[in-house]
Amino acid sequence: MKAMILKEFRQLRRDKRTVAMLIAIPIVLLTVFGYAARFDITDIPTAVLGPGASVAEGMLQEPFRVTTVDPAGDAGTAHDLLRDGDAIVAIVTGPTTIVYVDGTELFTAQSALRRAGSLPPGVQVEILFNPELSTANIMIPGLIGFVLLAIGTIITSLGVVRERAEGTIEQLAVMPLRPRDVIVGKIAPYFMFGVLDLVLITVLGLVLFDVPFRGSILLFAMGGLLFLFVALGFGVLISTVSQSQGEAIQLAIMVMIPQILLSGMIFPLQSMPMGVRWIAYLLPLTYFVMIMRGVFLKATPFHALSMPYMALLIMAVVVFGLAVLRFRRDLAPTRRASRRSQGAPA
Amino acid sequence: MTWGVADLTVVFDGRKALDAVTLHARPTVVTSVVGGDGAGKTTLLRILAGMPIPHSGTVTVPEKRRIGYVPATGGVFADLTVAENLEFSGSVYGVADPAATAAPLLERTGLAPFTGRLAGDLSGGMRRKLSVISKMLHRPDLLILDEPTTGIDPVSRSDLWRLIAAAATGGAGVVVASAYLDESERASSVLVLNEGRTVVAGTPGEVKASMPGAVVDVESPADPTRAWRRGRLWREWLPDAPPSGVLPDLEDVVIVAALAETGGRP
Amino acid sequence: MSIVTVRNVTRRFGSFTAVDGVDLDIGQGEVVGILGANGAGKTTLMKMILGLLRPTAGSITLFGRSPGRETRRRIGYVPQDLGLWRDLTADENLQFSAGVFGVRPSPAPEGSGGRLVGDLSLGVQRRVAFAAALQHQPDLLILDEPTSGVAPLARARLWEEIRSRAEAGTTVAVTTHYMDEARQADRLVLMAGGRVIGTGSEADIVGSLQAVVVATDHWDAAFTALDEAGLAATMAGTDLRVPGAETAAVEAVLHRAGISAAVTASSATLEEAMVVAGTP
Repeated sequence: MKAMILKEFRQLRRDKRTVAMLIAIPIVLLTVFGYAARFDITDIPTAVLGPGASVAEGMLQEPFRVTTVDPAGDAGTAHDLLRDGDAIVAIVTGPTTIVYVDGTELFTAQSALRRAGSLPPGVQVEILFNPELSTANIMIPGLIGFVLLAIGTIITSLGVVRERAEGTIEQLAVMPLRPRDVIVGKIAPYFMFGVLDLVLITVLGLVLFDVPFRGSILLFAMGGLLFLFVALGFGVLISTVSQSQGEAIQLAIMVMIPQILLSGMIFPLQSMPMGVRWIAYLLPLTYFVMIMRGVFLKATPFHALSMPYMALLIMAVVVFGLAVLRFRRDLAPTRRASRRSQGAPA
Repeated sequence: MTWGVADLTVVFDGRKALDAVTLHARPTVVTSVVGGDGAGKTTLLRILAGMPIPHSGTVTVPEKRRIGYVPATGGVFADLTVAENLEFSGSVYGVADPAATAAPLLERTGLAPFTGRLAGDLSGGMRRKLSVISKMLHRPDLLILDEPTTGIDPVSRSDLWRLIAAAATGGAGVVVASAYLDESERASSVLVLNEGRTVVAGTPGEVKASMPGAVVDVESPADPTRAWRRGRLWREWLPDAPPSGVLPDLEDVVIVAALAETGGRP
Repeated sequence: MSIVTVRNVTRRFGSFTAVDGVDLDIGQGEVVGILGANGAGKTTLMKMILGLLRPTAGSITLFGRSPGRETRRRIGYVPQDLGLWRDLTADENLQFSAGVFGVRPSPAPEGSGGRLVGDLSLGVQRRVAFAAALQHQPDLLILDEPTSGVAPLARARLWEEIRSRAEAGTTVAVTTHYMDEARQADRLVLMAGGRVIGTGSEADIVGSLQAVVVATDHWDAAFTALDEAGLAATMAGTDLRVPGAETAAVEAVLHRAGISAAVTASSATLEEAMVVAGTP
């Protein structure tokens, strides 16, 4: 038995990826759940509008953080500010003071509503975009991203890595195929399944969970396709650095876990400290969630979402481009010696 | 003590994987078991290694710790070094000082400079040599090797055969499976299997002498169903001719035996 | 006409030179066997001929042009691991490669068509791989240990197919470790350390190399004595062979060990020549 235990420890020590996961996963989970995964809201971007704006500004305390003061603003301004994500709470002062709350920011909205009990009498509260504060309404748009990520990353990487592990990629390379034929042919089915899933889960969400779809189909399609390219790109990239399907799955999980936890899909970005929030801003799913919640629930126009679209576009170009370049190296000879370890070439 | 199997039959899914096969593994004798894919070699070797496979017939093998079994693939741990692999199998088989026991074998086969290297970073031939050495440290009474030389180049193959010879001179009965007949000329006893049945068995000399008729080299065969290529020429079997023509090698004998059984084409 | 022309080709991987100044011509309809130990450079040379790797220096031409998409149209390749998609049926595999080459798919070997390649026996898989490589009537057939794991009669039938293609004008290059396969070639090319060190028939390659044959009743004692004296003896049935050794040296060792044996010199085998060439 001693020999078995010793052998196992030695093998584990050499498996750097698994050791890294054994150490990194508790640290990541602790950090995420300790700092980022909070439902208690410490920061509520708030707009104060109407004639009493500056008075109201003076009365607001933590966690409300005033981002806009506009004495000329009215209910329409409040609606636009919430729709475009510039504020989560908008207070329109006047004969009747009305507090508008963005219902798509579920936890922030709930936190704001709890404090509404201490408001002066006569103040009305109105929840916009998701008046029932339905969880399905805010989860389904994010889940679409999660599904695309799972398909794009895990399924694609498995499909491509199998080709290498079984040696058939060499067969493709010696056939009269151009690298582009192979790459497009290899990725096309996954792309089509991704699109199919995008449509399927959206329709199911709309039908089964009564999630509203208020925005533009074009914006929805643009966001979905850009994100699909990022996800497929991750899948192909993972396959080019993995020798086996097991390695590919391990890497795909490492790509997915932070996105699930930090993208704002489950835990609100507003509850994360700035350091963690910056990590969130590096993750494509964060932008996808922003876009889809805006398009589904708030009919947010393009100009208010241009930043997340731009971020996804850059990520799609970089990740997918890198993936195609690396894949190409498997198919076409380069003059320089191959950097992949080939063992002793015989 | 003679190890081996007598009249061994194994049935998988209603199909006979082995059909009344007899093999004796005497101390210091190397027996080569030859056949293509599906001939039943691996099943026979696994039964000799004491694995629980339902069978009929007699199986006489030593206790498990007196057997060394080298499977066709695996056999070493890729993420352990050469020394660690030897240490592991040494302690499993109760070898007092595995490193010292292995040293001359490593030296003899060119592995000595690589004891600190991960088994996974060795060439295929080196890895196979390590696999064999790690199963002969305990000087087994019966050493069983499943296609140790498949895919291995001639230099490593020669080293492997020298390890096999060393195990035999140490008193082990050795059973070696192979897909290639040219190798069997090295063994002192040959058993050729095809689809679970014995095609020929005996010493290489006996096997060659048992071939009916004669084999000749011809430019174009009189009966193509009884001929096979040998480079530009053909070899043709003349079943009723007196022994003449070319001296057949084991491959010719086995092809003739298959032709005699099927009456021509496979 | 030369189908494959290799001129002073070198290929390095970092500081390691896998192929070192190789020249090779393969004529139309010729069956050439490329032999050598691991690390001799066979596979790297083959990959350069296939166009999977580019030479670091020197030039390769196939059918008079450099390797590329056009030359790949005229090549059939059967790798050692067969290069079939195991999760497609035999028919689907044949249809795929027929589609790539723009030809009609050949029928799959009897009874295998509708079955997944991964469920077929190795022997049948090999026949599917050959059918896939041959269906576009390639002018150059490249085979990497084409018949390992095949029973002798089935192997003989595969070689019959290869030879009949060669007689119809197809050029064949085979890499192999096995003498049974090497014997089927018209011409052998022996590589060691990245260089071609011999070419020609089996007799040309073996040349004057001899092996000392030891016939004795005490082969095990003789083996141990020779081994301890640093003479690499190999078994040959109940005899021993010591390739590349001097008869007198072998006799001296056996005499010192007190072993009576008949010691004779014999011509070395092709395999022994490869071992001697491949041993540093």
